[in-house]
Amino acid sequence: MANLNIVSICGSLRKGSFNAMVQRMLPSVAPDGMTIKPAPSFVDFPHYNADIQNSTGFPAPVNTLADAIRAADGVIFCTPEYNFSIPGALKNAIDWVSRLQNQPFVGKPVALQSVSPGPVGGARVQYDLRKSMMFLDAFTLNKPEIFIGNCASKFDEKTGELKDEATRGFIKQQLAAFAAFIARVAPKS
Amino acid sequence: MSDRQLDVLVICGSLRKGSYNAALARTLPALAPGGMKLRTAPSFERFPLYNFDIQDATGFPPEVNAWADAIRRADGLVIVSPEYNWSIPGGLKNAIDWVSRMKEQPFKDKPVALQSAAGGILGGSRMQYHLRQSLTSIDALLFGRPEVIVTFAALKFHEKTLELKDQTAIDMIKLQLSGFEQFIRRVSAKE
Repeated sequence: MANLNIVSICGSLRKGSFNAMVQRMLPSVAPDGMTIKPAPSFVDFPHYNADIQNSTGFPAPVNTLADAIRAADGVIFCTPEYNFSIPGALKNAIDWVSRLQNQPFVGKPVALQSVSPGPVGGARVQYDLRKSMMFLDAFTLNKPEIFIGNCASKFDEKTGELKDEATRGFIKQQLAAFAAFIARVAPKS
Repeated sequence: MSDRQLDVLVICGSLRKGSYNAALARTLPALAPGGMKLRTAPSFERFPLYNFDIQDATGFPPEVNAWADAIRRADGLVIVSPEYNWSIPGGLKNAIDWVSRMKEQPFKDKPVALQSAAGGILGGSRMQYHLRQSLTSIDALLFGRPEVIVTFAALKFHEKTLELKDQTAIDMIKLQLSGFEQFIRRVSAKE
């Protein structure tokens, strides 16, 4: 299989984030040939405002994230659910890059993962994110879905390690499916 | 509550000056029933991106507290917002995410009506349904119908003054606000 360079985007900004823990463990379960690196952070993005875009252009960190997405073969989101939907900060990052020429999500393979303390495991954030990704013409992987519910029991809070073997197995399956999906939706050369 | 004038707060989801949604928000006072007074919410423009570590280390930023207090004091809210990428603008969602973490969470049992204006045929309706979903999670009381969905916004506002000139939209807003007044009086805590 060809080498695949994937960037991962975490929807939470806090240091102890469970989603960041998942993001960090992805390389350990990636299939051969797939490299997964964290995307540049959106922590310094202002709130989207077309007046900023029109007066001073796109902020540098917005371009940096967009370039990383463009350069990647695929994007994996690891995100919590806030109030039954997408964290505002993550949505704001998507809103910024969506306004760029050469919009970075066009034709981009995307996989979704979410972690939450409750039983639903962030399903609602994923379905809302799917809609925004659809609007942006991304190719979002259907299945397997990764919903990591009841997270407090699945991670070692001190080391940040995902201890739940079944969950590790699901993620491994998803990444393998994602590699096949990327190969399928890639433009014919 | 039965006859006093209601204090309703208007929140705009767009930050740009020439926003059609800000223009829509500005039309509301003239179209509101006598029993309702509208005021503009403080801006969420200066809110940091939500990060639990900030909340944990230095508490809620003053701008967040000011916004939450304005919501708590109001008898109801009208949220007027564009749709970004088939959903809620990140800036507005971030503001909701901040106050949702507060004790005495300001949206709890708060009557909310939604409006949107957008350039296309759906007029921001997808944003409204996502917002309904999020506000449900924080126990707001959502007004049902009539909905205010201003489609093809560029044709309905004056190009220079941004005045809303579409009679159908104006009539719908009047109907919604008078319905919203009755809704607030009905669902408010009994005195």
